[in-house]
Amino acid sequence: MIKISDLEKIYRTEEVETIALNKLSFEVKDGEFVAVMGPSGCGKSTLLNIVGLLDDPDSGSFMFNGIEVAHFNERKRADLRKHNIGFVFQSFNLIDELTVFENVELPLIYTGVKSDDRKKRVEAVLDKMQIMHRRNHFPQQLSGGQQQRVAVARAVVNNPKLILADEPTGNLDSSNGNEVMALLTDLNEQGTTIIMVTHSEHDARYSHRIIRMLDGQTVTENILK
Amino acid sequence: MIQNYFKIAWRNLWKNKTFSLINMMGLALGMSCSLLIMLWVQDEFKIDAFHAQGKQLYKVYERQYHDGKVEARNNTPALMADEMKKTLPEVQNACSVDYNYRQTFEVGEKTVKMEGIYAGVDFFNMFTYPILQGDAGEALKGPNSIAISRNMALIFFGSPEKAIGKTVRYENKTDLSVSAVFEDVSKFASKKFDYALNWDLYIEENPWGKDWGNNSVSTYLQVRSDAQVANLNAKIENFIDAYVKEQTPGFKIKLSLQPFEEGYLHNNFKEGKIDGGRIEYVRIFSVVAIFILLIASINFMNLATARSAKRAKEIGIRKVVGAMRATLMGQFVGEAVLLTSLSIVVALLLVFVILPAFNTMTGKQLALPVGQPRFWLAVTGLTLFTSLIAGSYPAFFLSSFNPIGVLKGSLKIDSTTVFLRKGLVVFQFALSIILIVGMIAINRQVDFIQHTNLGYDRENLIYIPLEGDLSKNYPILKDELLKTGAIKDVSLISQEPISIGNSTGSLLWTGKDPNVNIQFTYAAVNYDFVKTMNLKFIDGRDFSKDFITDSVGFILNETALQRIGYKNPIDQPLKMWQKQGKIIGVLKDFHFSSLHDPINPLIIYLKEKFNEGNILVRTEKGKSKEALASLEKVCKELNPKFPFTYKFADDEYNKLYKSEQTVSSLSGSFSFLAIFISCLGLFGLAAFTAEQRIKEIGIRKVLGASVSDVVAMLSKGFLKLVFVAALIAFPIAWWLTSKWLQDFAYRIDVGWQVFALAGFLALLIALLTVSFQAVKAALANPVKSLRTE
Repeated sequence: MIKISDLEKIYRTEEVETIALNKLSFEVKDGEFVAVMGPSGCGKSTLLNIVGLLDDPDSGSFMFNGIEVAHFNERKRADLRKHNIGFVFQSFNLIDELTVFENVELPLIYTGVKSDDRKKRVEAVLDKMQIMHRRNHFPQQLSGGQQQRVAVARAVVNNPKLILADEPTGNLDSSNGNEVMALLTDLNEQGTTIIMVTHSEHDARYSHRIIRMLDGQTVTENILK
Repeated sequence: MIQNYFKIAWRNLWKNKTFSLINMMGLALGMSCSLLIMLWVQDEFKIDAFHAQGKQLYKVYERQYHDGKVEARNNTPALMADEMKKTLPEVQNACSVDYNYRQTFEVGEKTVKMEGIYAGVDFFNMFTYPILQGDAGEALKGPNSIAISRNMALIFFGSPEKAIGKTVRYENKTDLSVSAVFEDVSKFASKKFDYALNWDLYIEENPWGKDWGNNSVSTYLQVRSDAQVANLNAKIENFIDAYVKEQTPGFKIKLSLQPFEEGYLHNNFKEGKIDGGRIEYVRIFSVVAIFILLIASINFMNLATARSAKRAKEIGIRKVVGAMRATLMGQFVGEAVLLTSLSIVVALLLVFVILPAFNTMTGKQLALPVGQPRFWLAVTGLTLFTSLIAGSYPAFFLSSFNPIGVLKGSLKIDSTTVFLRKGLVVFQFALSIILIVGMIAINRQVDFIQHTNLGYDRENLIYIPLEGDLSKNYPILKDELLKTGAIKDVSLISQEPISIGNSTGSLLWTGKDPNVNIQFTYAAVNYDFVKTMNLKFIDGRDFSKDFITDSVGFILNETALQRIGYKNPIDQPLKMWQKQGKIIGVLKDFHFSSLHDPINPLIIYLKEKFNEGNILVRTEKGKSKEALASLEKVCKELNPKFPFTYKFADDEYNKLYKSEQTVSSLSGSFSFLAIFISCLGLFGLAAFTAEQRIKEIGIRKVLGASVSDVVAMLSKGFLKLVFVAALIAFPIAWWLTSKWLQDFAYRIDVGWQVFALAGFLALLIALLTVSFQAVKAALANPVKSLRTE
């Protein structure tokens, strides 16, 4: 599904030049669950942003489902993103002014799904995440675990082929964390490809393969399953 | 999607009540102000624009070249209209008109004073004053016909139908026959009248009108629809040469045309050309409306961008889940539209509430034209326009956020944005300061007008029209009045004492250059005029019964003496018309017309018998009530056929500056609004800054900063902006006020004090606004703010 070769990303300010990705290459197959680990500043998040089409690389190739997307413009990237990729963040990133239902509904609105259809699909996914009873609550009224389940619901409502998770359990206690990991595993078993950035060895063990990064390059790969 | 936007917009408004309220109040005030000005401007453009043949109507005005200068005026000879119709093929209709009469009519037991005009026979054919009874072409034919309004017909006869053909006694001397009844004059007519008398009667009553050398009346032409106006204009330029033979190289009269519909707004002449007038106020207030709308919109922009950090996460998420930039821009503009729409509802309510007061202030009868689709179109236009101004920049700015940055919480507002925000505050305050300077300058000028020493005492001075038997009974009246104890002096003058306007070039003196024509203003008076007016002599004396030769004596003002050039003026010869006499006195200059004009040379001569004019009455201080009562009693006895009317000189004087007073109160209100709306925005920004720097304030307090240190720290930045605004505003304000004041021959100096005061006011108001938030932030317990981090 994803094939990255010689990817480079350099951040420049007036005084400093930081190399975030240094000729990085790796591949993710359909249906894989990959964990990316490494110390702060190693380039994990940059990688995730590029894979998520939120950022573009300075050089190198990024093939998504066999298409070169490294230099797509904003419109094309947004279009590809909203149909194919779901995001889960450490800090949940729900919109405080919208209810649980409305937050989950948002991606469907941007992909132009009709209102009736939206209602059905949102309800189905909320049901699956077991937060249907909270559908009319606002994010601040939920616990951290519940908020992350809403975030996962939002990430999957569009049936994306790929889910990108950036430290999804970072803000949760261990029991809520395990619940979220179970949810992701579940999704993966149903065929969704997952790339997860994490600091937690415990969480990484849920994946098939762990890629370890340092200074913008992959250093090792552990195949678990 | 729209529903989603609406929902989030509404929840955002609700969640940030203070900011929403600030924005809404600002926008509502700004838009109500614009609506009021829009209504006023629209009304101004409607004045005199209702005549069906309006596009063919022209006013003839004169340019007099004399004394090395050129002066334009609307006064023309009384015979000119008819002559032009006779000799110029381009002219379809023409008429002379003389306005502002107040005469007494009597039918049976009823005697009423009405306002009216004299007009030529074509008048009702040219102008659209719908005829209810009679025929437009016949209405003003023959010296004994009178056309009256529906109102006048109702007063005297009960209905227009009953009025036609009936007799009205006019000024207790002539019986006139009602030849036509016309619909009451529209509120959009600049001149109001209840009757029109025909031009033959005018000439009969004003024999000077037969002389082409005298100018006093208005001349209007209706040009044939196929005629070339430019050609006609060129043709009439020297039209008068064939009739006024006494023109010399030093005195020349030329004529020009002005479209009638433009006459109301473009009513000022400068150096012989049509230049400005009421149109300037229309322009000024239109600009003010845009200023105030801008100020309110800037509040919205600044608060929206300042609070962008709070929206950043939402924007990031929307982008991540697939929103395009254009979609987000649409969302933010939509929010502006929502807020503006709510504000316009408030604005309409405000206008509804303010309108009566606004009408009193402006002397208009404006109403919200809620039944007109065009009005709602304008309201929608205003709403969209305001939303676009207010919403476009925030939309552009907010939608530009990079989702990665904002979701990581590392939103960096670059210096350009901060600079722009500061720039907008400076712009807002600069506009406000310009308005404040304008307001102070206008107020001072109006105050100057009201309190300036005119050279005569306009307080305790009453005048009543000399009419009916009063002229015959004047000596008795004077004796009776002086006996009352409430009245000090009584005299007569041929015109209104506060605006003496007639002028002549026919003055001769020893040593006069025959090529120079100087226009002298003149007035005929009776004994005790100088005493009654409280004028000061610099030489000589008043007219006196002790000197028979005073019947050909002249009193001049200083300016006239200067122009004549006599070294020792008393007893020097002077000839005006057929009157050959001597100078008996020289008066210190006094203002006998508007302060817009310089004091002209003035000649006063003695007249024993008056047929018309005004009786001047100087009352004892504090006894005007008794004086009026005895005046009324004596007038009723001596002149029973006429209703008693009177005018106070100071009231009439103030009426001369009605438009300035209107402008003064309007500018006061508008500049107050401008500064208020600016401060609303500043209040919001200060609240935001305090919130943003709460941690810094906490740390500073822990490290030992006092409340006043923190207040000073927070306020300094804002005050600097106001200071910069003042520096930008001052030269512009100086230029604008000087331009306005140029229209007054007698005016105040806009000294540095005005600017100092305006700057000080702006700073003070800004300081009060900002320090409220600053003090609140400074008093907060630092432990709280630091713990939340």
